[in-house]
Amino acid sequence: MSLRELLRRPPRPGAPSALWRTLLRPPPVPRRSLFSGSPTHWNQVVSEAEKIVGYPTSFMSLRCLLSDELSNIAMQVRKLVGTRHPLLNTARRLVHDSRNNLQMRGLVVLLISKAAGPSSTAALSLKHDMVSGIYPSQRSLAEITELIHTAFLVHRGIVNLSELNSSDGPLKDMQFGNKIAILSGDFLLANACTGLAQLQNTKVVELVSSALIDLVQGIYCENSTSAEENCITDDIGISTWKEQIFLSHSALLAKSCQAAMELAKHDTEVQDMAFQYGKHMSMSHKINSDLQPFIRGKCGGSIAFNLNSAPVVLHQEFLGREMWIKQIREAQEKGSLNYSKLQEAILAGKGVTSAIDLCRYHGNKALEALECFPPSEARSALENIVYAVTRFP
Amino acid sequence: MCEYYFDGRGKAFRPIVVVLMARACNVHHNNCRDMQASQRTIALIAEMIHTASLVHDDIIDDASSRRGKDTVNQIWGEKKAVLAGDFILSVASVALARIGNTTIISVLTQVIEDLVRGEFLQLGSKENENERFAHYIEKTFKKTASLLANSCKAVSILGCPDPVVHEIAYQYGKNVGIAFQLIDDVLDFTSCTDQLGKPAASDLKLGLATGPALFACEQFPEMNAMIMRRFSLPGDVERARQYVLQSDGVQQTTYLAQQYCHKAIREISKLRPSPERDALIQLTEIVLTRDK
Repeated sequence: MSLRELLRRPPRPGAPSALWRTLLRPPPVPRRSLFSGSPTHWNQVVSEAEKIVGYPTSFMSLRCLLSDELSNIAMQVRKLVGTRHPLLNTARRLVHDSRNNLQMRGLVVLLISKAAGPSSTAALSLKHDMVSGIYPSQRSLAEITELIHTAFLVHRGIVNLSELNSSDGPLKDMQFGNKIAILSGDFLLANACTGLAQLQNTKVVELVSSALIDLVQGIYCENSTSAEENCITDDIGISTWKEQIFLSHSALLAKSCQAAMELAKHDTEVQDMAFQYGKHMSMSHKINSDLQPFIRGKCGGSIAFNLNSAPVVLHQEFLGREMWIKQIREAQEKGSLNYSKLQEAILAGKGVTSAIDLCRYHGNKALEALECFPPSEARSALENIVYAVTRFP
Repeated sequence: MCEYYFDGRGKAFRPIVVVLMARACNVHHNNCRDMQASQRTIALIAEMIHTASLVHDDIIDDASSRRGKDTVNQIWGEKKAVLAGDFILSVASVALARIGNTTIISVLTQVIEDLVRGEFLQLGSKENENERFAHYIEKTFKKTASLLANSCKAVSILGCPDPVVHEIAYQYGKNVGIAFQLIDDVLDFTSCTDQLGKPAASDLKLGLATGPALFACEQFPEMNAMIMRRFSLPGDVERARQYVLQSDGVQQTTYLAQQYCHKAIREISKLRPSPERDALIQLTEIVLTRDK
């Protein structure tokens, strides 16, 4: 039985022992990509990149998958089936889209490790430990990056018990969901901390810990803005938006890329370029996914989109605060927001095109940073990732 | 929000033990009582890790008051509270890295792992009575004593190169930590809400069978069923509380705590005499007789 099936089935007592085995098996479903127009293109880029780093990237370490705690978590998550706790969706996404979204960070850390290669000052004995041109410590780091990212996906899904309404279902279910979400997130974080400690490099521990601080601060801001109930967005300009998105979406990858260079004893200049690649690539990735509802919307039905996404924030900046609030008011019907109406208004403005420009700007910055690395398969793969996120129909 | 619990009104039990241990080890090593900056940082980190775990525990248990005030989740909601816990832990982690010693990082990272594993142990219960008690002591070690044991060990590593001393510090922290939690579990039965700063009989309400309840179960086997169903039926909590108070569960748990304290004293007495070492010995007495 696969985890996906487990999640669909009603709770039933049973041994979770086979669970990890099914978790290791790649999902047989066709993968839907986040990326515009060419889902196959993105998958191609990723699978080619995976070949370069040695073996298919399965970052949730075996150690972690085999543990009693994880099978315990899976058992508990099953009890949540039928409730509306967000943890359930996070778990589903983890299984379904793991290739597209979740493992991207680990893959990039491995690719940039390989692109940089061993440092000229590194001892020859160390070079023997390399597998496919990557140090074991860098592989651990890639795994830690994924663990941290996943831990925060899980912690993002905690709900405020006092704000629940009747459509959310029984309070007890939500309490239970919160409990499991905290425990499983903490479990992943604890594993990340242990892995970090084993790297035996205090600079790397400090760097990744500081990325944790950034991430928490970024998610904190995210929460305070999305809590607005009356659909009025925060009055933030694009520069504040970029600062917040750096914290919540880019800092982890940027600092992990930098840490991967530190592990190979590369100098600060190379470390900085790796940081820049991680930063700009993930900014451009985020803007790309923010743009999706506006690009896909042209040909299909529209869906609710985030009012704090790049095109909307840019639209508001062009339009001015007052006009924007007026547009929101016009799109409000019987207390709820008509997203297709608002979408039309945004498509008529300059928000979308300038978001595309911004996405390309960050993509170019990421490509520039790569120039300090010698040409290689790994470097091309990193370039291809940028091309994939900056390509629009 | 993150400063909320760092108001100086907690007992600061952990930092006190860590500071005393640091000085005791320094005297033992080179007769110098001064504390290193890095040892002071360990004391701070110990309290930060403790606080981060409190914040998350309170969300998990849906607690509404702690140290005589409302909990973070009660005031700011669960979404922000979980981030506050994560934030405190990340700041502690940066502070730890800045000490610049990989051994120290490994020692204190063990605490974080133990805390999470302890929380998982608390989720399950064992059918077999003997196993149940071992399970309880293991959980107590991971959730409470590991922090004291490993932070004591960390300051001893910084203060003195002798591995024998590291083991003494670790054993002292471990034994005092377990005794501390055993007494905490006793107070949950004998104390009232005002003294504790958190509601009494809270463990039973959470479905947890602690030391006094496990001892009482030996005298009143009818408690077995209640433990297995985690005191979930109406009236279970009150009935279990009565059983515990009628039994000598409280005395037996206190006696067990005394045994752990004696072990701690035996360990710490191996260090060279100093006012700090004697304070650590007296501290075990305070652990046993405290009422809050």
